This record gives sequence, structure tokens and C-alpha cells, in this order.
Amino acid sequence: MIELETIRPFFEDKKELLAEILNRYPDYGRRSAVMPLLWEVQRSERHVSEARVEEIAGILGLHATEVKGVMSFYSTYHEQPLGKYHLQVCSTLSCSLAGSDQMYDWLVEELGIVNGETDRDGLFSLQKVECLGSCGTAPVLQVNDVYYERMTRSRCKEVLAALRRDELPEPWLERGGDNVSAEKAQIESES
Amino acid sequence: MKVKVNDAELELKAGTSAIDAIFAAGYDVPYFCSQEYMSPIGACRMCLAKIGAPRKDRDSGEWIIDEQTGEPKIFFFPNLMASCTTAIMEGMVIDTLSKEVKDAQNGMIEFTLVNHPLDCPTCDKGGACELQDRAYEYGAGQSRFVFDKRHQEKHHALSELITLDRERCIHCKRCVRYFEEIPGDEVLDFIERGVHSYIGTLEDGLPSNFTGNITDFCPVGALLDSTSRFRGRNWEYDHTRSSCLDCAVGCAITIDARTGRIERIKAARNTQVNNDWICDGGRFGHEYVDADERLKTPLIRRDGKLTPSTWEEAAAFINDKLADLGAKETGIILRADATLEEGVAAKALAAQLETGQLDHFPRLAASVIPQGVRATLNDVATSDAILVLGDVSEEAPIVDLRIKEALKGVTPPELMPHGVPLADLRLKERMPRQREILTVASPYRCDLMKHAGSTLTYPAGTEVELLASLLQAANGEGEISEEAAMRLGSSPEQLNDLLKRLSGAKNPVIIYGAFVLAASEASNAVQALAKAVGAKLLAIGPMANSYGLEALAVLPSHARYSVQEMLRGSAKALIVSGLDVAKDAEAAKALKELELLVVHDSFANATTELAHVVLPAKTAYEKEGTVVNLEGRYLPLKPAPVENGQSEDFCGLVKFLGETMGTRLEGRSVRSARRLLKKRLQLDLSELSEEGYLSPAKAKAASKFKLKESYELEGNLLLTPSMIRHEQLSRNAHLHAVYGDAALRLNPADAVAQDLNDGDVVAFELQGIERQAVIKRSEAVPVGLMLLPALPEQPAALLWLEPTKLIKAAVAEVLA
Amino acid sequence: MEAPQQITSRKDPRFKVSMYEHVGVKNSWTLSYYLGHGGYQAAQKALTMQPSEIINEVKASGLRGRGGAGFPTGVKWSFMPPVDGRQRFLVCNADESEPGSFKDRYILEDDPHQLIEGLLIGGYAIGASKGVIYIRGEYYQGYQRLKQAVAEARQAGYLGSNIFESGFDFDVILHRGAGAYICGEETALMNSFEGLRANPRLKPPFPAQAGVYGLPTTINNVTSLASVVHIINNGADWFSSMGTDDSKGNKLYQISGSVERPGVYEMPMGASFRELIYDLAGGPTMAIKAIIPGGSSTPMLPFDDEHLDTPMDYGSIATKGSMLGTGGVILIPTEKCIVNATWNLVRFYAHESCGKCTPCREGIAGWMVKIYQKLVKGFGQEGDIELIEDMADKIRGKAFCPLADACLGPVQSSIEHFRGEYEYLIKNGKPMYSKSDWWSE
Ligand SMILES: Cc1cc2nc3c(=O)[nH]c(=O)nc-3n(C[C@H](O)[C@H](O)[C@H](O)COP(=O)(O)O)c2cc1C
Ligand code: SF4
Ligand code: FES
Repeated sequence: MIELETIRPFFEDKKELLAEILNRYPDYGRRSAVMPLLWEVQRSERHVSEARVEEIAGILGLHATEVKGVMSFYSTYHEQPLGKYHLQVCSTLSCSLAGSDQMYDWLVEELGIVNGETDRDGLFSLQKVECLGSCGTAPVLQVNDVYYERMTRSRCKEVLAALRRDELPEPWLERGGDNVSAEKAQIESES
Repeated sequence: MKVKVNDAELELKAGTSAIDAIFAAGYDVPYFCSQEYMSPIGACRMCLAKIGAPRKDRDSGEWIIDEQTGEPKIFFFPNLMASCTTAIMEGMVIDTLSKEVKDAQNGMIEFTLVNHPLDCPTCDKGGACELQDRAYEYGAGQSRFVFDKRHQEKHHALSELITLDRERCIHCKRCVRYFEEIPGDEVLDFIERGVHSYIGTLEDGLPSNFTGNITDFCPVGALLDSTSRFRGRNWEYDHTRSSCLDCAVGCAITIDARTGRIERIKAARNTQVNNDWICDGGRFGHEYVDADERLKTPLIRRDGKLTPSTWEEAAAFINDKLADLGAKETGIILRADATLEEGVAAKALAAQLETGQLDHFPRLAASVIPQGVRATLNDVATSDAILVLGDVSEEAPIVDLRIKEALKGVTPPELMPHGVPLADLRLKERMPRQREILTVASPYRCDLMKHAGSTLTYPAGTEVELLASLLQAANGEGEISEEAAMRLGSSPEQLNDLLKRLSGAKNPVIIYGAFVLAASEASNAVQALAKAVGAKLLAIGPMANSYGLEALAVLPSHARYSVQEMLRGSAKALIVSGLDVAKDAEAAKALKELELLVVHDSFANATTELAHVVLPAKTAYEKEGTVVNLEGRYLPLKPAPVENGQSEDFCGLVKFLGETMGTRLEGRSVRSARRLLKKRLQLDLSELSEEGYLSPAKAKAASKFKLKESYELEGNLLLTPSMIRHEQLSRNAHLHAVYGDAALRLNPADAVAQDLNDGDVVAFELQGIERQAVIKRSEAVPVGLMLLPALPEQPAALLWLEPTKLIKAAVAEVLA
Repeated sequence: MEAPQQITSRKDPRFKVSMYEHVGVKNSWTLSYYLGHGGYQAAQKALTMQPSEIINEVKASGLRGRGGAGFPTGVKWSFMPPVDGRQRFLVCNADESEPGSFKDRYILEDDPHQLIEGLLIGGYAIGASKGVIYIRGEYYQGYQRLKQAVAEARQAGYLGSNIFESGFDFDVILHRGAGAYICGEETALMNSFEGLRANPRLKPPFPAQAGVYGLPTTINNVTSLASVVHIINNGADWFSSMGTDDSKGNKLYQISGSVERPGVYEMPMGASFRELIYDLAGGPTMAIKAIIPGGSSTPMLPFDDEHLDTPMDYGSIATKGSMLGTGGVILIPTEKCIVNATWNLVRFYAHESCGKCTPCREGIAGWMVKIYQKLVKGFGQEGDIELIEDMADKIRGKAFCPLADACLGPVQSSIEHFRGEYEYLIKNGKPMYSKSDWWSE
């Protein structure tokens, strides 16, 4: 008999995490756990495969279709694996007014990939995204979960260089507005 | 409440939706997302209307008056409103004719068509398409959209039975809502978001027994019945409204035939029976009718060979034989889905032949007409405590849907002048279900249990014990003991809860089928229990007209003349209609001894092999007649124009026989049978309404039940009723592709013990009948039990089968 | 007695930054910092009051929802049905995704305890023992800070059972979105929280009758709840002494686009655009032609004296044909082609359309965005503007939820005020203004 290769369930060795997530919600709201479970998989595997969709459906007593319907509704769960560094360029108006279109073009040029693609080494993927809530500190580049704000051309070069060295730079503090002074105070105290 | 629609004033009940008010007033408004029996969602925005209402002054509580007219002033909503999701208010004014509304409709049609491929000339729905009609009635006639349309898959097989054209979909969400709201299997959903979203499933082939309905109400040609795709256009079909005879429910169907073939079956509406739904077995189970090997001419055995002949010759042949024989020795067997009219004919023939050997089959030990208060299907749908004994989802699938209707806690809608309300505002998306009102008890885990608040898997054959314990406790004749409950796979708490629920309910219903009917003690017990707790009873007979034939007493004059006896030699001549009785090796032996065997059937089989005369029979789709469904409702059958050669129903058979005998027998035609029935029933069956006629319940007192000490039903193999008619499956290619061969289901532990794997084909003999089945391991089956689909010739029962007698096909072939 | 003079300008010495005071300060997100700056005193005080007193106080303050719609918060709270033993929820809408809005983010990241305290007070007022914070998925740092803050608050007994010995129990569920603007719409948010596709739900029933899991629910924006903390601390009178007749209190305004110091500024309501743009944000960095007054969905206004002097309150902006929205001001420079800027926003709404209803899915996401793309690529044709206008008429007010109309805000206003640019682009196949590099070194 042919033994099909079986995929080890994602949550098999994460019983505590699973219990913690399920316990966040009341019994009658078990289904609420679908998004956090998808998040765990997405963060750890850089995408959510169909096998994982089925696993989550099984955990929550849903049909896989329902989980897929939910998953595909949102922009940040991906069907195909993302690169190790997922570069997300906000392209909505305020960022666009601060040059995000040029930043995107520059990244395309540098990385040789366009929106939605991952490079051959699986190191970078590039995505244009909509407003990230960083309009006051535009343009913004989100790398995985980290915001790099007020991305000037030179900052962008630095960040990319660091990522190429496989280093995720510490984000810097950008606030603006009423906190220009506080921000300055902090930057001064740190330097 | 008074409302005014354009110029029409009318009085409607509070809670009515504005769209229903519009239709009730005789006006029209386009709509796509609204669908009868489903929740209104206001998504397509097609039904916009200008709506306003008077207002009361907050301080004085008086209507605010319009100075100019002296009438209450109408305050219009600032925007047009989706009339499907707006409830009427006292004095509401609804305008569907103004330019503002027309412009909006015009715009919405244009938007709806933006990404619709407009491939009407090649679309099956053309001519019967809601979008086409509405675009014609309400659209501008041309589009200003100059871009490429959305391109998506055009031939996506959602399952073997249903094809989805994603480009045609207009996102009305009817199909997605249907699965959640009606069968409660969420196997279809939108995938992706916004303009990119499409309908899809990750489940393998839409696992639900009710998938075909989505092809009926899809407003465009996006969801099509794969079995009839590209077979014809709607206007080319002859539409025949009839009733489905695949189970005891008798759903309303429309048979669409073209050039003598049945191309498809659609659900028709019967608000009392099936609403708008039918099961997949009923919808796709017709394919066999048009099989090439269909018998179309009478055959007479001459020199050992069946040779074509005519009805007249065949009748003369039979008559000669019967004359030689002395007619008293003749037996007549009808299948239990024969019509009432055929029953009359059979009785008339039996009377003419002066024989008491008349029966219908399958017929179980107990009567299918409950003694007690009968429940209707609408009673089920409005019940507040339901006990189900057995696997109704397979046995009578629509009962499963009507139970799920009850779980929503919303009574069936009241009809409006235009019929079922288009938007019943009591229905909501993803309504909470009152699962607690449903208890399902069965010898194995069945589908409906997923929806039940309380479930109980009792050892097969212990129905009587279970019912007796409940009855005892209900009558206060003794507590349910811990051990007794344990033995039944339950607990005293569960059983007491169940009793409390049933007796405390306003409209409790007990539903039972073959497993209870298999033993008259069990049937007596259930009737006594119903009486004790004040519940109504719904018994599911084995076939579409079990109820009617029993009521008409198409029964032997004596127990020694039952079908079983006839097949064991009580008759010398036999007329068998619709049953392959020779499947049973023992019976076959007896049949060989007969002086005359007349087989009335649509296909050749083991019995025709032995027959002296074979007469071509009409199928259920070709008959005119009447059946009585499980509620006692008379339902009409209408013949679809199918090319069936010289096929006749049993009335036709009786006509020809009678003619050769020189007499005009009652029941020689549907008309003549109905004349007789009219006298007996005070009911003209030729004038049955589409809903049928519910016979008045004669509440007979339940017979006394007393548990016999020695009572025992035993076995390790349970023959189970199933939605699929396995006897026709080999000629139903599409259904076969989905449901496969009959499966022998058993617990994985047992399978391991017998070294059986999924997909193994096994052959074995079961009470004289050779059966073949595919092994299917299933946790739903308790250890020690096996499940096998019943056949008409081998109805539901609990039997013994030595597991070692299961021979794997490969080995079996070698042995043979 | 004469009513006290309202504070309508940040220049008034009586005005003091409150909600935003600690944003940007090192370690401001920790419990010890928060406690060191008066944290949880409002909650302690509130829990000695009757719930109805709190609701009345919030009503008296005149606080209107800061999520965009501006519905009076106290009134919303009073819609909750009488307590009947069912679980009730107070949901904080932290899905902030409207382009031009970013005030909530800084509260979430730098002052999470302020939000938790507001939630606690609100929960007590409406009898909800469960709070939910629905935070947009991209705000990962905010989520981390909130998570830590919730843990600290639990540890210290500000969340949990019998808080401040009052007998009141309250805890918070943090729930992350995953990138969908529509989740900001309150009923879509509830669906998303329940693990469903985030399509908006029908109203009625309103959340107070049947919200999350069908149970009584109230939904408030982050800064609505943060405001409540200060209302309890300083009193309704303090709050209502700021602002104008229909718009009381202080508010976090945001400014972005071509301006010297973009960011969040706390101001009394009714301060003018001029004060925000010139006095606080340092003035534009280049010539400006349009102001988007309150987030991308609010119709843009020409950048002129009339509009600069308009007070930023609900009523005044409405009289100019736009809306206060979230108070997210975007300045569009003259050099930016207005069609391109509008296309940018139309694309946003098209991307975020949930797909439930026809006019938004097909009208905006299927069609409008394509027309704009055609225009910006220089393939516009005569009649396109009229077509857009006609489509807008056929969409406005007819969609299921306000998202479709939100898209029409920039569309219709840009045509109204800058029709010339549209016509120029169509006629010449290239935009009137063609500055292409906006990126600074
Ligand atoms: C499309 C759409 C998006 C919205 N997005 C947000 C949002 O991101 N944050 C928010 O607080 N309110 C948002 N709202 C408003 C909410 O529906 C709701 O009115 C608000 O959260 C109520 O809180 P408040 O009364 O405190 O303002 C949005 C509304 C719509 C129609
Ligand atoms: S307007 Fe319609 S399609 Fe758009 S987001 Fe709202 S409900 Fe969804
Ligand atoms: S919105 Fe679709 S029928 Fe009313």
C-alpha cells in the first residue's frame, strides 16, 4: 500500500498556544478563534496552505470552505509562501504624496520583483498595500510586522542593505504632530 | 397595517416587508437576492423603492399633519430603500413608479451587467433567466461599460452534479445562504473579497444530499444541473408538474422532458410538503428511465425464449393459462409505490380472479398509518419538541429539512396574494438554532445528529426496549434505571429530559421509520408513548404509496397469503409488478415451479428471466394517478411525455386482461379507478389541488402496549433505508459517480479485525439474496454492527451475517 | 448666568493637552508610567458612581463618537437594553483604516492603559463585563503593547473580578484584524470578530439589541473611550467648556500631505483649519489646492481663506459641503494632478469593497476604478466626466453600507472643484500638473 506523506498538524506541538487562543473566546463564540489561528499559521509558515485551512476547520468544527471564505477575505493571509522579508509599501494618498510610488519603483528595480511576487531565494516579497495608518509619518515601508516610517531614499537604501545582510533593523521612533518635542527629547537622550 | 403602494391602498400584517407589500398590491419590482424561504439580506439593491411614513409628534403623540392636505404628513427616507429589508409601518407610502426609482433600477441593472458575460445565446438559462427578464424590463437596453469584463472559470465542476459558471454569477448569495439556512451544511461560500469574490467550495464535491436545489433558484445560468447542461432550452422542454415517488414524502416536482426523454427534474413548490426543495436522490434519480435497455413491448415466452408480442396477445396468453389453472391460485404483488388507481385495479383483478392473494411490497411488520394523532410535515416544522427514531435524512430526506426548519423557531410563512412571501423578515442570516428541541435516536450515528441537542445511539434492535422504558417512566410505572439506560446507550437523565421536553411541549412530534416499523411491538410502543406525552406521530413508510395502499387495503385476505408466502409456493400463478422477486434464490426456486409468472416491469431482471409473460411498465414519471404520502396527503401524479413504447401502468394491464376476459373491470383506467375512489373517499382525485388533499385523521386509539418478556430483535447487519435508489443506480451514471456502489459500512475496528480496507469489494449472501458492496470504514457505525442499504426486495431489517462470510471480490471471482 | 466662554482655540491658555499628553514619551505604555501620571483614578472614581450617573455625565459632556459618524456617545450607551443576565459587550473599534487617520494608532502604541481605562469605565456604565478591542492586523506594535498592558492590568487588578472592590468584573479580549478596511464598519467588525466574512450586517437589529454573538453590544472608537477617562477625571463641564455648540470637547486632529510637521494635534473642537495647518503644523511645504478635511471619504474643499477659516466642528464643515469625519486632514498640493489623487482613493475603496452589494462591487470596484485608471493613463474621452457623475448619482445612497458613498466623496468633490483638470487631462492626454517625484532624499 502506498503511504501518503502526511503533514504534521501545525498545532500538534502547540497545545498550550491553541488552548490559550480558544480560551480567549466564550464557548458559544468558538468560531472567533479562526482569525487568530490563521494568524499563527501565517506568521510561522509565511502562508496558509490548504492543509492548514482544513486543520483549523477541524479544530473549530467548521467546513474548510468556511475557513477559506474567511481567510481569503483578508489581505494579510496568503495562499502562497511569502519571502522571509515581506516588504509592504503603502500606496494610498498621503504616502503617495510623500513619494511611496517612487519608493515602490525603486524597490522593483532593486529586487527585480513586482507587486505580489517573491524573489527566487525566498528572501523578499513585495506588495503594494493600502493605508497603514502612518500618513503623518509617510511614506511607510512595512517589513513583516515592523513599520519603517518617513522612509527617505537614504533610509530605504539602508534598510534594504541591512535586510540583505539578513538583519532586521530596529525601527526608529517617529511620531510627529504634538510630539515633535517629546520625540526630540527622546532622540537626544538616546544619542 | 395600512400601506399605500403607488395608488393602491391595502391592509397588511405588521412585519410584512415592503417588497411583499408591493407585490401584494399587484405591482412589480425587480429583485435578485431575495428568495422565498430564505433570509432577506438587501444585497443586490435591485428592489429599491421610495418609501416614506407619517410620524407622530413626540410630545403630543398625534400624527404630524401636512398643512396643505390636512392628512398626516409623509416623511420620506432620505435615500431609496431596499424594499426587501424594510418592514412596513402604519401609513407607509411606497412608490415604485417615480423617475427617481426608475433611474435607480436602471443604474442597478447596468451595474449588475458590468461583469456579466451576456452569453445568453449559449446559456441554458436563456429564456428562463431572471437577469435577462429584469434587464429587459428595467434596464436601459445598452451598457456604457467599455472595459474587459471579469474573467473567471466558466465550467467549474462544483460536484459531479453541478457546474458553476463563475462569470455569470451576480453575487446574489442565494446559494450560499441556502446551504447555511436550509440543509445547514455550509459547504459553499464566497472566496476572496469584493469584485474578485466568487463562489467556491473546498469540500470534495459538495457533500450534502440537497445540492441540486441551488440550480433551481440561481437567478442566472451560473449554477446548472450538470446532467442536463446543454440538453435544451427552457422553452423547448415540456414541463410536467408531478410528485416524486422516491420516498414517502411525495415532493412536488417538475419533470422537464424533450423529444421523449426526461432531461431534468426540478423542485416544484408545495407549501405543505417540500416548500421549494427536493433531495438529490429525487432530482437526479431519473436517468434510468431513458436507458436503452428499457422494456417497451410485451414479451411472451415461446420455446423457452421471450419473444416480442402485443398487449392483446399477452393478455390472451395469460387468460388462457389462468383459465386452465383455476384463478383462485393466482397471486398479485404490487410495489409499494404503485398508485391508488393501480391499487384499485389490482383489487378489481383479484376480485375477478376470486383470489385473496394480493399484497404490496415492501411492507413492514407494523402499520404505516399511526394509531394516534397524525403529524403533518408542517406540524414537524412548527414543533417545539421532536423525537426522531432512525435515520430520517436518508429515509425521507425532506423530513430532515422540515425538522431543521423547526430548529429556527419560525413558523412557515403565511401565504400572500402572490404566494410565499419574497422576504420573510423573521428569517435572518445565520439564525441561532434551537437544537435543544431535537432528540435523535438511532442505532448508528446519522447525519441529523449534528443538528440535535440530544443524541442517542442505541444498540440495533433495542427500539422496543428504549420505547418501553420511556413509556414506563411517562406513565409513572417505574423509574428508568441506570443499567437499563446504559444498555440503551443513554442515561436516566437524558431519557427523563427527553420525556420532560416532549410532555412539556406545545406541539411535540415523534418521527419514526423502518427500524420501528420493523416490529409491531415497537410500533405499538411508540404509539402508546405518543399518547402518554401528547405527541403527534409521523411514520415513514417504506415507499411512496405505502400509506395509500394500506389504507386502500391492497392486502392479502389472510396472513398466509402475504408476499413472502406467495413466493414460497402459496400461489400457482403470480403477477408481479415492479419487483425483482427472483433476486431471492429461495423465491427463484419457487418461481420456477409456477404455472404462470407475469412480470410487469420497466427493465429485464432476474424475475423476467423466469417469466412467461413480461409486460412493459410505466415508470413513476409516466403515470397518471394518486399517491398518499406519509402524512396521509393525497398527491397527484401527472405523466410526462416520455417515449416508453407500449408501456402501461397496472390499470392498463388490468384493462387488457379484463377485455380478454370479456369484462370491464373497475380500475381498467385511471378514470374508472377514480370513479370508484370518488364514491369511497368522497373525493374527486382528478381535481386534486397542487398541494394535494390531507385526508382527515381518524385518530384511532393506540392499542395497548405490553412488553413481552421474551421480545428480542437481533442481528449484526442492519439494512438501512437510503436516499439513493440503489436498484437503479447502475443506470444512473451521474448519481453513481457521486454515491458509488452500495457500501457496507462498518466500524474501523471491525474492519481491521476482518482485514477489510476501504474500497474492497465484498460479495456475500444475505437471506438468499446475493449482494455485493464496497467496504467503507466509518466511525459512525458502532463496533459489532454493519450497515447495508436496503432494497425494495430486501427492506430495512436487522439480520445476522457472519463477517467471515464476506468474500472479497477478487477471491469471490476466483471461487466462482 | 452667562454661559462660560467656550474654548475653541488651542491658543486659549485654559486649554491643555490631555489625551495625547504621553504619546511619544519613553515607556509611556507601561503601567508604572501610567500610574505615575494619574492612571486608573478615573476608573476608581467611576466605579463608585452609579452606571446611570456615568452615562449622564458623558451625555452632559456632549462627547460625540470620534470614529467618524459623530453620534453622541452617552446617548448610544443609553440604548443598551435593561440588564437581563445576558452577557453584554463593549467593543472598541481600533480598526482605524481610513486614509488620513492615524490618531488611534498612537494611543494604542503609547498609551494603551488610557484605552483600557476608558473601556473599563464604559463597560461599567453599560453593564458589560466583557470588553473587546478589535485592532487592525497591521498595528502589530499596538497589539503587542496592548497585550502587555492587558496583562499588567490584570496582574494589578484593574481587570478581572471585583475591580476596586466594587463587585464589578471586567476583562478584555484582544482581537486582531487581518487587513480589511470594511472591518471598521461596526457590523462588519462584529462579523469579523465572530470569525465570519466581514460583510456588514443589516440594521436593525442594532448592536445594542443584537451585536456580537447576538448579544447586547456597544461599539466605540478608541478616542471616544479615551475621552471618557478625562471626562470622568475633570468633569463634564470641563469637557463641554471646550468646543462649539454642536461639537464639544477636545479632539485629536491629524494632518498629513504636503505640510511641514504632519502628525496628530490635540485641539479643542472648532479650531480652524488655519490654526491646525499654520500654527501647529508649520504650514504647507508647497502650494496647496485642496483640503481633505476629515479622512479620505470626506469631500475635499478648495484651499482658500473661506475654508481655512472654517472651524473644524461637525456643523461648520457640513455647511461647506463636507464632513468632519475622523478629523484626518490631508493637504493636496497644487502640483499633484487631482485626477491622479482621486484615482488613488478610488482604488483604495475599490480594493476594500466587501463585495456584498451590487453598486459598490460592480459600480465602484468593477467600473469606476477602471474609468479612473483610463483617465490617468491619458485615455480619457469626452463624456467620461458626465459618465462618472451619472454613475455617482446611481450609487449614492443606494449601497448597503456607507463605503460606496465614502468613495464618492473624493470623486464628486474633485469634479466639482477641479473639473478643469479633468477636462484638461481628457483633452490633452496628459495631466495639467505632472510633478512625478515626491520622494525626498
Ligand atoms: C466603511 C466604514 C469604515 C469605518 N471605519 C472605522 C474605523 O476604522 N474606526 C472607527 O472607529 N470607526 C469606523 N467607522 C465607524 C464605525 O462604524 C462606528 O460608527 C464607530 O466605530 C462608532 O464609534 P464612535 O461612536 O465612538 O465613533 C467606519 C464606518 C464605515 C462605514
Ligand atoms: S457598500 Fe456594499 S459592497 Fe461596499 S462595502 Fe458596503 S456592503 Fe460591501
Ligand atoms: S436588495 Fe436584493 S432583493 Fe432587495
